[in-house]
Amino acid sequence: MRGLISTNTFWTLWLLGHLILALGLLGALTHQAMAVAFPVRKPAAGAGIVTRFRAVSAAGYATAVCVLYVLIFLIGSFIYTQYRIAIRIPLEAQHYYRTGGFFDFKEHMATIGLVLLPAYWYFWKNAQNPHYDNARKGVTLVLAAIVWFLFIVGHVLNNTRGFAS
Amino acid sequence: MSTTASAPTTTQATSSSATPSKFGVFAITFSISGPVIYCLIQHFNYPLVTYWPAIGRLVWGLEAARPNSGPNMLWYGWTLTTIIIASALGIAAMFLPEGMFKKIPLWLVWLFPILAVPYVIYSLMYWWRLAARQ
Repeated sequence: MRGLISTNTFWTLWLLGHLILALGLLGALTHQAMAVAFPVRKPAAGAGIVTRFRAVSAAGYATAVCVLYVLIFLIGSFIYTQYRIAIRIPLEAQHYYRTGGFFDFKEHMATIGLVLLPAYWYFWKNAQNPHYDNARKGVTLVLAAIVWFLFIVGHVLNNTRGFAS
Repeated sequence: MSTTASAPTTTQATSSSATPSKFGVFAITFSISGPVIYCLIQHFNYPLVTYWPAIGRLVWGLEAARPNSGPNMLWYGWTLTTIIIASALGIAAMFLPEGMFKKIPLWLVWLFPILAVPYVIYSLMYWWRLAARQ
């Protein structure tokens, strides 16, 4: 594969895949988080976009969220090897310390998000059990916050070094 | 993203049931303990493996900086150690008496990740100090 395309293109394609999957995860989790934070009991006919955004069948997202998170985590882990050599060292050399610090923050939060997935999935799998309502709401909101954080830091970091650099 | 994709079944638990299945006990224990274990593993620096991306070298445990090898990566090792220990705790919890597990508050699942944030920020002091010196 690396013989057919340049090294830059190779890593850029992986980064694009990482980004596209992250967008799917972000959308699914944001829908779900809005649905648990501001549930719509009876979606009225002709409801606005915000109401319709919240009125999704949130339980249906759980497995997709877990699969996407693990996939993105694995791709991110692969890209990380290149980041450590080709991106972080120049960033440090140019004194982008805060940017480097936030990337390390991102890696820690990515693992913490990963270990939340089993309980998250179990709570949603048992979405009709009111005993899990608060825990399901809490873990979904925390996971959504983590994913938004990961996305924004990754986006800003990419802007710092420049696309395909 | 379709709202109908991979819909989980919601029939296994009834509204009166507060006792999780064996998998539920594993999952909840894993997720409660995971953030705490990760912070401890990272603090005491116990990676299962160390990876050297510049030379493609992967070794068991912690391997400190070596000349002409480039930077080492510990995050993979910390994550693997965390998954193994959290899994072991989850499996152990499956054998606990039912009453004992019920005493564990479920809100710990979302509280520990939040509490981990100040620690993680503190653990990155190296970066913040360098940034402050500029």
